[in-house]
This record gives sequence, structure tokens and C-alpha cells, in this order.
Amino acid sequence: MADKSKIVLPASGPLKSVQVDALVVLKICKHASSAHPQVITGQLLGMDVDGELQVTNSFPFPSTDPSTSSNDPDSNLASAAALAPRSKASAWYQTEMVRCLREMNVDANSVGWYQSANLGNFLNTNFIDNQYFYQNALNERTVALVHDTARSAQGALSLRAFRLTPQFMAVQKEGKFTSESLAKHNLTYRDILIELPVSVHNSHLLTTFLHQLDTPPIPNPFNPFSQPSSTPLFPNFDSLDLSIDPFLEKNCDLLLDSIETHYTELNNSQYYQRQLAREQTKIAAWLTKRKQENILRAAAKQPLLPENEWTRLFKPPVEPSRLETLLNSRQIEQYAKQVDGFTASVTAKMFAVNGGLSKTQEQLQL
Amino acid sequence: MADKDSYIHLARPLPVVSVPPAQATTSPLSVVISAQALFSILDHSLRRNTDQERVIGTLLGVRNEDGAEVEIRNCFAVGHNESQEQVEVDMDYHKTMLGLHLKANPKEVLIGWYATSPELNTFSALIQNFYASNGDGTFPHPAVHLTMSTAPGQDISIRTYISSAVGVHPDRLADSCLFVPVPYEIKYADAERSGLELISSAKNSENRSAEVTTDIHALEKALEEVLEMLDRVSEYVARVVAGNTQASVAIGKFLMNTLSLAPKVSPADVERMFNTHIQDVLLVAYLANTIRTQIDLSNRLASANLGTATPTPAAAATNPTATGTTTTAGGK
Repeated sequence: MADKSKIVLPASGPLKSVQVDALVVLKICKHASSAHPQVITGQLLGMDVDGELQVTNSFPFPSTDPSTSSNDPDSNLASAAALAPRSKASAWYQTEMVRCLREMNVDANSVGWYQSANLGNFLNTNFIDNQYFYQNALNERTVALVHDTARSAQGALSLRAFRLTPQFMAVQKEGKFTSESLAKHNLTYRDILIELPVSVHNSHLLTTFLHQLDTPPIPNPFNPFSQPSSTPLFPNFDSLDLSIDPFLEKNCDLLLDSIETHYTELNNSQYYQRQLAREQTKIAAWLTKRKQENILRAAAKQPLLPENEWTRLFKPPVEPSRLETLLNSRQIEQYAKQVDGFTASVTAKMFAVNGGLSKTQEQLQL
Repeated sequence: MADKDSYIHLARPLPVVSVPPAQATTSPLSVVISAQALFSILDHSLRRNTDQERVIGTLLGVRNEDGAEVEIRNCFAVGHNESQEQVEVDMDYHKTMLGLHLKANPKEVLIGWYATSPELNTFSALIQNFYASNGDGTFPHPAVHLTMSTAPGQDISIRTYISSAVGVHPDRLADSCLFVPVPYEIKYADAERSGLELISSAKNSENRSAEVTTDIHALEKALEEVLEMLDRVSEYVARVVAGNTQASVAIGKFLMNTLSLAPKVSPADVERMFNTHIQDVLLVAYLANTIRTQIDLSNRLASANLGTATPTPAAAATNPTATGTTTTAGGK
């Protein structure tokens, strides 16, 4: 599979950007909102044109039947959806769907997968494993599109494209995330993912249609006071909405959770360090003892005891995987940036409202 | 809406034999179409084979309890061949695709079918009767037929129909039916609003594409738009006051309504609310940035010093206390 894709796509430099068709944007929006706040996943189809990945179609992965899951439906369902891109059942679904779509002249190449998120909380091992699966097993030139339902409701559409970096792929291939391997590949939490710029593309036909949708309706001659039922598509004044607390509150909760995880991870690694130090002193003590013994034996002309026996006797503790810490750090950084971006726009809005309201009040009093 | 076309397609009438047709209800219904389905149809129309005049596909959606309201949410393409004499629709394909779609969206049901030409002919009737049939079709609910004209250079017009049987000879029952136009409405779900905004912001650009923007850009655009609208309104008002333009009662009432929406609060209250909120916001922003720095520091220490991890917990230990204040600030 990997060889085949290399033949189809001659290497033309790294992927530079992602172009998403309007249809795909809407399909993802619809799928994500229908299951909100659960995580959903789906397949992206399209093609790669000179480093620009054009996503022209998509389809959702089937969600598992809630009745089949046992006593804890929520977590099972969520994990099932998150696992869908890699699971056996959806592999069959994918091939079948792709076969059908190909008959209808759709660009039936897999170019990645999409996932929904809630305030940017998508960075976890599932996400990484899925994207690793896509980039490693299926096709190197694939992306993960993340649609943030909660942030999109705030105004601007939040659709981001991510890929794993070559460094991360290399470490993941080795399968161990120890301090050494991280240092060897020079991998920090900032270099797990690269974000690609996303743009939205419309077909000519769609442009015509959009122009037509936006032409104001002819006012009803019998009742000029009736409000037109449809609102213009552009611009969307949701971004002027001044609700601060819910967003900040949720963000802080998420941040707190992440910090707790971080703290646990730190404790783990500290525990490991202590274990390691203890074992090392034990080994050192053993070695000195053995050496003294050997000196005595040498003096008594007896055969020497081997000095490397400690590898059998002592087991140094295994270093816990650093992957979780890395992901968590990246996640915290993302939350922090999100808060930053939000406060920037919200302060502007607040000053505007304050200025506007005090002025109107003054005018009213005059 | 439809002016010139006729809706009745009759096969040549033959001697009348009365057969009670097993026909679905033909009570009027209203159709709601979601934007995604329309975009899908347009996409399919673009991808048709060059020799095909029109393409068809299946419509999926939800129906309310009494079946009087239908919402078209999704659709997929179905291959077909049309010649002068006969039409061939890939029914196996339709069934496979329907199965696949229903697996991913268990709530949706078969609603009807679409064609990308405004024309209604004998083949339309034939396909319509298949979709409305008992068993595979939508029976006992009526099948909805949606036509979307996609001829280049012309307006895209959408029409929706349901069908009813016409009293002709049973031999020709399969390929004759009466298409009854029904009203439709295009609906945008709230979740799609932000997506549609971006899509339609690309409609005036040369290359038909738009970058995904950040929140602050979206805010800027919205503000510019509001300012422009205010300018337009004040210009209009100024013209009316000067007597250059005839005043419109309707616009006046709309303006009155809008102006009366301005909240009446005392400046002191505004000032107080503003101050408390801005303090919260700034505090959270400050703490978020502090946390970011701490995490960075913690990671650097962890990766730099293999042996001594002792400074790391010290750096992180301050974090829980810091965020403790964060939540209280955000929760107000």
C-alpha cells in the first residue's frame, strides 16, 4: 500500500496547505453538531495537487449502536468513535463506501480523516494513534482535520489541519518515549504536530448558487412589516456576541484537568527517579562488595567471581513513557493560547460596549 | 414559481378500467432542505459524465410524526442511463449506498430523489413511482422529487414535487403520474452558520476560495459591516430629514424597534460591571500565560537534566494554586 501510493504520488515536497471544498465543510459541521458533545470521526477524500491537499468529499464513520455497549455507554461510545478510523469494522465500511463513490466520479483517494472537538480538547493518544496509522500505514500525505464545534459556535469557523512531524513519526516508530529517545530525535512537545493552513474552495456552480441565495427577497407587498425569514449568510454577527463567563469557565476547567494530569505524570516520573537512584545505590554497594571479595580471593589465590552479575540480580525500573506528558503539555499550551485569543477579542468588545453604553446614557440624560 | 411547464404526464389513455391504485397519501406537505444536501447535488452535477444531460440521486432526511413535514438532510448520487426509449437506474447501487448511509446516520430515512434538470418526463414518472413504491420505496409516505436546474449561465431554480396517481389504464400505471408542486424552504442549522459564512465570504473573490480566519479577524469583519450598516441608515435618515427622499413607514418602524432595544442602565452600573469583568478576563489571561511558561519550563527541565528532576515538581507545584484562583475568577 505504501509503495503503491508512492508510485501514484511522486514526491513533490512536503504538503504546504489544505484546501477544503464547501461541501466537506458543511458535511463535517452537520456530522459534528448532530452528535455534539460526543466525538465523531470520518473519512476525507480528495487529491494531492503539488503539495496542496484538496479535500473534495467526505463521509462519516458509522457510530456504534449504543444498545450494544454495556453499563457505561458514554465512555464506550466515545472511545468507539475515536477508534473508528483504525478499527476493522470501519475498514470494511470505508472500502465499500469508497468503491461506491468512485463509481460516481468522486475523487476516491483517502487524504486523511476528520474529528470533532470541544474547545480544542482533541490532543490525546487516540488522535495521535489515528494520525500515525494514517500517515504510516495508509498514505504518508494525509491530514487530520479538526472541527471545533464549541468554538465555531462563537463566531468564526474553527477548522484546523494537522500532521505529525517527521521527528514524532520516527520516535513513534521506535515505540518508546524515554528521555533518551526524545533527546536523540530532538523532540519537544512543540514539535508533535504541524498545523497546515486551511482554505475553503467553492465550485463555479456553487458561487452562482450563493449569489442567488443572498439576493434579498422581494418584500411582500401586502405586509411590508413582515421580517424576512432568512438572515444573510455573510457576515455572521455571532462573533459580536458578548458572553464571557461560560467560555472562560469551561476553558479553566479544562486547563485545571490538564494540570492535574501533568502533576500526576510528574509524580510518576519522580517516583521513577527515586526508584532508579535507590537501585543504583544498591548496585554500587553490591559492586564494591564484590570487588572487595575479589581482592580477598585474589590474595587467597582463588578464582575470581564475575563482576557483571548485577545485571541478573538487579532490575532497574523501566522509565515511564513520556508520551502522555508531551501530549498534555501540548494540550495545555493550546488551551492557554485559546484563552489568549479569546481575551484579545473579548476585551475589545467590552471596551466597545462600555464606551457605547455610557455615551447613550449621557445622551439620554441630556 | 413554475410558469410554463406542465405537471401532468399522461401515457396515451386507454379504455378505462377501474383499479384502486395502491398509492401513497397525497396530502400536502412542506419540505425543508438543508444547505448540505443542495451543495451535494451541485457537486454531483459537476461530476456527471459529459454525455449525461442530467443526473439523479436519492434524498435522505427526517419526517415528522404525521408526515406533513419533511426535512431533506442528506443525499447521494445514483448512476443511471437515459436514452430516447428507455431509462436504466442502478438499483443495486442505490440499495448498497442506502444501507451504508443508514449505518452512519441511523436517524435518517429515505425521502425521495433528485434530478439536476427542471424537466419532468415519462422517465421521471417511472423513477418517481419506483421511489414511492411499496417495499423499497417511501410508501405509505409520498416520495419527494426535487429538481435543481444546473444549466450554466442561468439561475439555479429548485422545485419540489410529490406525486399522485392518475386514472389511466393499469398497464401504463407504472410510467404515469401527476407531479404536484409543494412549497419548500432552505434552512441553515445554527451549527452550519459559521461554516456557511466562510463559504459565502469566498463568493466574491476571484479564485473562489477563502482562508479560515481567526476569531479576531471575524470580529473585525463583523464590526466593519456594522459600521457600514450604521452609515447607510444614518445617511438614509439624513436624506429623509432633509426631505430628499420619501420616508417609508416600514423602515421607520423597524428603526424604532431597533432603537428601543438599547438597554437602560445607569452609567455607574455599566462601569461597575465592566470593571469586574475586565478584571476577570485579564486575570485569566495572565494566569493562562503563566501556566504556559511554567509548562515550557517544566518540559525543558525534564528533558535537559536526565538525572535531577527535582526542580521540575517545584515549578509545577505552583500551578495548582495558580489555577485555583483562575476558576474562582472565571466562575463569577
